[in-house]
Amino acid sequence: MNSRKLGQLLAALTLASAVALTGCSSQSDQSITVYSGRSEALIADLLESFSAETGVEVQVRYGDTAELATQILEEGSNIRADVFFSQDAGALGALAKAGVLKQLPEDLIGLVPSEFRSTQQTWVGVSGRARVLVFNPEKVLTLPQSYKDLMDPSWQGRIGISPNNASFQAFVTAVRVIEGEQAAIDFLAAMKKNAVLFEKNSLILEAVENGVIDAGLINHYYWYELAKQKGTENMVSKLSWFASGDVGNLVNLAGVALLSDDPNALAFARWLMGPSAQQYFVNNTSEYSLTGLPPVAGLIPLAEIKSPKIDLSDLDSLAITLELIQKAGLL
Amino acid sequence: MAAGAVLISLLPLGYLLIRVASSGLETLLDLLFRERTAELVLNSVALALSVALTAMMIGSLQAWIAVRSNLPGRKVFAVLAALPLAIPSYVAAYSWLALFPFFSGFWASWLVLSLGTAPLVYLAVSAALARFDSSTEEVARSLGSGKLQVFFKLTWPNIRPAALSGGLLTTLYVLSDFGAVSILRFDTFTRAIYNAYRASFDRNQAASLALILVAVTVLVLLLESKTRGRYRQSDVIANRLGISLLGGFKLPLVLLLALLALLALAVPVGSLVGWSIVGLPQTNWEMVLSALGNSIVLAISGGMLTSLFAVAVAVVVVRYRSALSALLEKSVWLTHATPGIVVALTLVFFANQLAPAIYQTMFLVLIAYLVLFLPNALAAIATPLRQSPKSLDEVAASLGLSKLQVLRRVVFPIALPGIFAATALVILTVLKELPATLLLRPTGVETLATRLWSETSVAAFSAAAPYALLLVVLAGFPAWLLNRAIRKDLVAADLERV
Repeated sequence: MNSRKLGQLLAALTLASAVALTGCSSQSDQSITVYSGRSEALIADLLESFSAETGVEVQVRYGDTAELATQILEEGSNIRADVFFSQDAGALGALAKAGVLKQLPEDLIGLVPSEFRSTQQTWVGVSGRARVLVFNPEKVLTLPQSYKDLMDPSWQGRIGISPNNASFQAFVTAVRVIEGEQAAIDFLAAMKKNAVLFEKNSLILEAVENGVIDAGLINHYYWYELAKQKGTENMVSKLSWFASGDVGNLVNLAGVALLSDDPNALAFARWLMGPSAQQYFVNNTSEYSLTGLPPVAGLIPLAEIKSPKIDLSDLDSLAITLELIQKAGLL
Repeated sequence: MAAGAVLISLLPLGYLLIRVASSGLETLLDLLFRERTAELVLNSVALALSVALTAMMIGSLQAWIAVRSNLPGRKVFAVLAALPLAIPSYVAAYSWLALFPFFSGFWASWLVLSLGTAPLVYLAVSAALARFDSSTEEVARSLGSGKLQVFFKLTWPNIRPAALSGGLLTTLYVLSDFGAVSILRFDTFTRAIYNAYRASFDRNQAASLALILVAVTVLVLLLESKTRGRYRQSDVIANRLGISLLGGFKLPLVLLLALLALLALAVPVGSLVGWSIVGLPQTNWEMVLSALGNSIVLAISGGMLTSLFAVAVAVVVVRYRSALSALLEKSVWLTHATPGIVVALTLVFFANQLAPAIYQTMFLVLIAYLVLFLPNALAAIATPLRQSPKSLDEVAASLGLSKLQVLRRVVFPIALPGIFAATALVILTVLKELPATLLLRPTGVETLATRLWSETSVAAFSAAAPYALLLVVLAGFPAWLLNRAIRKDLVAADLERV
């Protein structure tokens, strides 16, 4: 075949495939598109239950919460998602600020305590994630009673943190709001000296399990996730909370927000707050149910944690925190 | 077509400029002079340069041994040298960390990235060596020049462009890499960009940072073209390849090459096999097969599309050489060091502004691959094109062939090995690609790389390992083919080996 014909064939093929590929995405009436920062491994079964119960098909786009939020913002007036299922409140705040979220009905919002929902009624928390200290019992003989204890020079090189992680940033925001900016600055400076930095919570947990560091600040469910994989009896590390009322016991949330007026999307949000979904979170991801169901064995009940009460989605506040973290040289 | 390709390549720059304009010059300047920024730029540049130097040394050595020596087992080593390309940097980084929990920081990143990018230099230099006729060397030797003199005055200037071009690819790759350095906990500039997206949702700030990276890229490109030197066009294709008789150096070299292969291949693959065995009972084969299918389709279409455009650009740049065409070639490289997420968001932005119908379709994903990998394909095609003499074209034209016919019957066959190499290279890189695929794919479509990512993000390493292993095995094919494309040049030359 001479190359002119070859060229024409290739051009025709490219054009044909382009046309074919663009026509690919069609939405039926009974389907919703969810952008989920929560991973497939965690919630795929949950979404299938929803589809089975209601007959509504769910098209899910899994990704990193922040990248998906950025993608939604970049989609501009052409937003494809009906629902945004976020792994943390900051992303919800970013979307709320951009004005792309729909109002949620009173009765839906009212299902959770006030610190776990938007003040503007634009998002609602679905499950709770507690900040904890994971530690190696052989290396840490006296448990710190406050996050402030970690500032002591004796902790140098022994404590792991993840400064780019949203939950850690929310924690520092809580310190800043409740104990003052100087307290936050001092804490971050101490962390710069003492802490070993990790990209993710899961890497902190691994490091404690392997003996690389003695303790770390993570979210509670990572420990339970690994325990399921390894077997609880094989876990080297243990979890500990700080003294009641300490800012280090902050409870974060995973939440949901609506981007379209599709009634099926609202039905999905309601379903997530319903008993079967909430129980799912307790059983499968070991998270806290925000509607009041009892948590998994070994976890302190939510009401007892006395988490500091701050607006987790206040993005402007988060921006100030980020400045501090960056100035401290941790980011 | 060439113009179209170049325009598409400049889209990320356009996007960055639009975003920076939104937030104003102040933000950019403020970021520029922040101490942390300087620290991160220094980190990135230090890592990139040290990796490039190491990769150039390793790759050149491997190429020399494969093409011009009589080392026992050199054919095996030749294949092994190219294979690390099949292992994504984040997979390699993770497998090392899984074996050695203390493995982190600058030197860890340097090791993993050097081993991973050496094949780029190896392939470029072997191709150059294969085409370099050694008869001039023999003449020089017969006239009394020492071995070393011959090397520095004759051989090196001829392979220098290839070595440096490989070094350039390496440098830009390291500058844009995020996966490996984040796992190995080394703070580079790319992390600053990712953090700006992830932490503050401030696309404008992130774009300002990415623009700084573009500026660094420009500097690197300038440096490369100043030191590259001119391509020597040989009048004949190499038909004699002088063989260095290694004598006493044989054993140490064999050991060295074996060690390199061990570090670059055995460690990651062994780790993956181990984790896969742990995770085998829970593997969801339906998901695996569907991801496999998507990976293959995207990789092959991406490879073909990108090569097609690369040929068009290469022909314009190499055969119709002018100041403008040189500029065009450089502009294709401008955004090569920007992280994949920037390219992805560029296309999200432009697609939604200009052509919403193609958003979240496979078509847009292919365009992303074009933007990302056109420079790689171009490098693979341009090198053999450059080394073939223009006199051949002129002879053909004087014999009455039209320009198009000259292209078809003279240039194209010479460029063919380069085209195969380019296609294989792009297929390989597309298989491993993550950030752009994640953001731009149609909802519900998964590739091996995206599945791998989603499992590792919840620390389900045993679930992730089968995908990683399959990815490495699959990518091994184009890596092997790439090697063969180069060695094809050697077959004819082999017959003349002294």
